[in-house]
Amino acid sequence: MEVIVQAHMPGLVARVVVNEGDKVAKGQEVAVINCMKTELSVTSAVDGTVKTILVKEWDEMEINSPMIVLET
Amino acid sequence: MSVIKKLLIANRGEIVVRVMKTCRKLGIDVVAVYSDPDKNLSYLKHADEAYHIGPANPIKSYLSIEAILAAMKKSGADAVHPGYGFLSENSLFAHAVVSAGATWVGPPPSVLAEIDSKCFCRRIATDARVPVVPGTVEITKNAEDIIRFASEHGYPLVLKLDKGGGGKGIEQIGEDGQAKDAFERMSRIGLMAFGHPESYIEKLIAAPRHIEVQFLADRAGNCVCLGERECSIQRRYQKIIEESPSPVVAKEDRETLFRHTANLVKAMGYQGAGTMEFLRSDDGSFYFMEVNARLQVEHPVSEFLTGIDIVEEQLKIASGEKLDIRQEDISFNGYSIEARVYAEDPVSFCPSPGTISRLRLPAADGKHLRVDHAIEEGCAVPPFYDPLLAKVISWGESRPEAIEHLRNALAEFQIEGIKTTIPVNILILDSREYRTGDLHTGFLDHLYSKAVSEDGSIKPLWPNM
Repeated sequence: MEVIVQAHMPGLVARVVVNEGDKVAKGQEVAVINCMKTELSVTSAVDGTVKTILVKEWDEMEINSPMIVLET
Repeated sequence: MSVIKKLLIANRGEIVVRVMKTCRKLGIDVVAVYSDPDKNLSYLKHADEAYHIGPANPIKSYLSIEAILAAMKKSGADAVHPGYGFLSENSLFAHAVVSAGATWVGPPPSVLAEIDSKCFCRRIATDARVPVVPGTVEITKNAEDIIRFASEHGYPLVLKLDKGGGGKGIEQIGEDGQAKDAFERMSRIGLMAFGHPESYIEKLIAAPRHIEVQFLADRAGNCVCLGERECSIQRRYQKIIEESPSPVVAKEDRETLFRHTANLVKAMGYQGAGTMEFLRSDDGSFYFMEVNARLQVEHPVSEFLTGIDIVEEQLKIASGEKLDIRQEDISFNGYSIEARVYAEDPVSFCPSPGTISRLRLPAADGKHLRVDHAIEEGCAVPPFYDPLLAKVISWGESRPEAIEHLRNALAEFQIEGIKTTIPVNILILDSREYRTGDLHTGFLDHLYSKAVSEDGSIKPLWPNM
């Protein structure tokens, strides 16, 4: 099943900390959003494997923008 | 060296409005710049010209030397005021402005390039016999440097970025085992946030007060001090309430701080308006920390006390004029306090961008109250920039009077649609510690341990108020 990690806050993508193919655990940081100069951690809600990374550094995020597709 | 006719303000938000005000007074035309999400900001309509400089990403707009220089050339602006933050202390930007034949409203590019390094400033201060926080004046090369320093001077100590700022790049170290991780983390943050991984070591000063001196220095070497500001109340090393005079700076302390400031200005070859930041330890010693080579957010506090328009002085100095104020002409009247209102959750300080659905600003009479802002009802608060929404600045003949004016104004200030730190400001002003002037940089943590309930809500310290 595919699970999409979404932005929980608007802002700019500061960095993506995983690569496609990486295994991630529930609660693990997968990306960081810079919102009003504060770095906010984006975490995975599930255990899974990174299938597709949809964003890159400096992309503009709105709330719920899709960021990363995970395969569970 | 020429009179400024058309000034480009390379910034966004309240500081653009602030600088514009002085330009109007002096008959200087204003060029504003904006990124995509800022295109509807109301001050753009009041500027003589406004130029689009790029997308939301500040790297491609407000931090783009290329984009701003293009706007400068297109508009024919003969000077640039950088405001604070963004490119304000960037020597390459200053150099580019000067090379293009325009006037840079700030210290000379060569001075900016040197004082960017905290180690350089610490060496200069030591040579000028100004005390600095005990620590190193050379770059830390590895974790062994930290352990060696600690074996001589003990823990706790702080690792700081040589070219950091804005509260980023400060790591506390309590034992040998933490040195390696802290050093590596600091290098990484430095490289990522500032492009410079270098750090140095300072002894930790426990519960210090943050006290800074505002000064003006002209090209002829004249320097005047516009008093000190106490900025001890901070969240995440960022200021939230500032005031002048400081409740703990006695007349002799002030003379010493002014003398240190003048010596540092001379040693740096600094010209323009600036601020020397000092830490005061609880034994009453002052240590020079760093220089802020720009107009600061909290400058209105000093303007209220002295009646001097700091932006006007900046423009005059940049035009090559000599200071026409002498230290003995400056009087410090009454008390002034500034509260910064941020778009943040008042308990977690988590950012709160969005749209201001309803706004009621406190009534500013300019004598007891000043509100610097660039917001209006219906305006967006974008997630891409600093969370500062407004500055509420009060003046009173006594400190309690200034507190009263500020508290009333904050109670009157209503913003809906986003969360703000107004409840924090009120909580601070209501606390006994604040009213007695018992301030230190850990103030807010201490206050929160008493005032925040387990469910995360703020309970009033005085239920009757």
